[in-house]
Amino acid sequence: MCNACGNPAVPGHWTDAGAATPGDRLRARFHRAGVLNAILRPYGLSAHDGGVVPGIQLSTLSGASVIVPDLAAVWAEAERLVGRPIDPLDARYLDAD
Amino acid sequence: MQTDDGRLRLTVLGGYLGSGKTTWLRHQLHAATFGTNVHVIVNEAAETPVDDALLGQVTLLAGGCCCCDGKPALIAALRRICDDRSRTGGARFDRIVLETSGLADPGAIVAAIQGDPVLVNHILVGETLVAVDALHALAQLGTEPLGRRQVGAADRLILTKTDACAPADLAALRATLTVLNPGAEVMAAVLGEAVDLPALPPGTKPAPLPPLPEEDARGAILPTQVQVDPAIDWSAFALWLSALLHARGDDLVRVKGVIRTPAGRLLLQTVRRVVQSPEILPDAPDQGQDNRIVFIGRGYRPADLERSLHRFLGRPLPVTPR
Repeated sequence: MCNACGNPAVPGHWTDAGAATPGDRLRARFHRAGVLNAILRPYGLSAHDGGVVPGIQLSTLSGASVIVPDLAAVWAEAERLVGRPIDPLDARYLDAD
Repeated sequence: MQTDDGRLRLTVLGGYLGSGKTTWLRHQLHAATFGTNVHVIVNEAAETPVDDALLGQVTLLAGGCCCCDGKPALIAALRRICDDRSRTGGARFDRIVLETSGLADPGAIVAAIQGDPVLVNHILVGETLVAVDALHALAQLGTEPLGRRQVGAADRLILTKTDACAPADLAALRATLTVLNPGAEVMAAVLGEAVDLPALPPGTKPAPLPPLPEEDARGAILPTQVQVDPAIDWSAFALWLSALLHARGDDLVRVKGVIRTPAGRLLLQTVRRVVQSPEILPDAPDQGQDNRIVFIGRGYRPADLERSLHRFLGRPLPVTPR
């Protein structure tokens, strides 16, 4: 653990388990940020992962931003910013095409 | 066995009151199934300890079930064990086995350990074993929400007292357990000694599981299998699952399956909101089980999960509905 910033506090978040090499990890982070961005856009949020700083940066349309360590924290923070949880079983994802 | 990163492996042994946990564990310690250097923690809900007399060298947590009242005591005991191990520089023992009280929900214990900022760096929660009393389990599962939760939280179910049980009842129990937890491996033991289970007769009907008061309006807990499209990679799947667990973690009792990723075959398992560190399994040819994830939960229509997986990630639905 870095004694200045406390990162990483736990040995790897489970969502990072699918990549074994540093190259794969970086690729997975960029790819994840892209997909996450598309999911968050309808909620007025955007996600950015530059690949350098650990964590994911979430921003609102008004410019407020926050850096969170992992995906579990992304959803918790998104719930706080949006005012309700982003639920994959919400009717908007289940309606007919 | 230590993990690669030096964390201790913890095995949780649960099961209903009188299901034969201690008997089973005592035999396993004698036969060194868990290796010779095992630290055993026994939790008893009652103030008067009985079980520890049977087991030898153990840490005993009496007077409070460690999934609720006794949780601080459990966390403190585990921290003390990790602390001692760090001070002495290492491997006086390789594994911790936690025998829970018969009233404990193993899922809550796993959540407590993984939620502790110190323990998460020292302990890797491995398998959750649940002892199931072949004589009485059918009756318990019909009336006790706790019994169902315990079965739902298991990686491996150990049927005990199978020698005293009629073959037809045993078959019905096994079919019922498959309904409650299709992902769990089932084995049998008599007085701790493993016995082979005969093949399940075809057409065995599971016993009816009436809805229980605790299951309230959210409906019964049902298993669903979701086939993950190979086109959905791990990052995308993890996005969906992490969002689902955040929003619906209380309703998803358990998620389990093997998923193929660039790093290898990952064994994924969750208990409510807690995800165990995914383990990389040895590579093996796909036998139709990979990328098939079992969800055990309630509060949604089973068919919605697959639809949600595609739509949430902005992908077209599979052309042929399964």
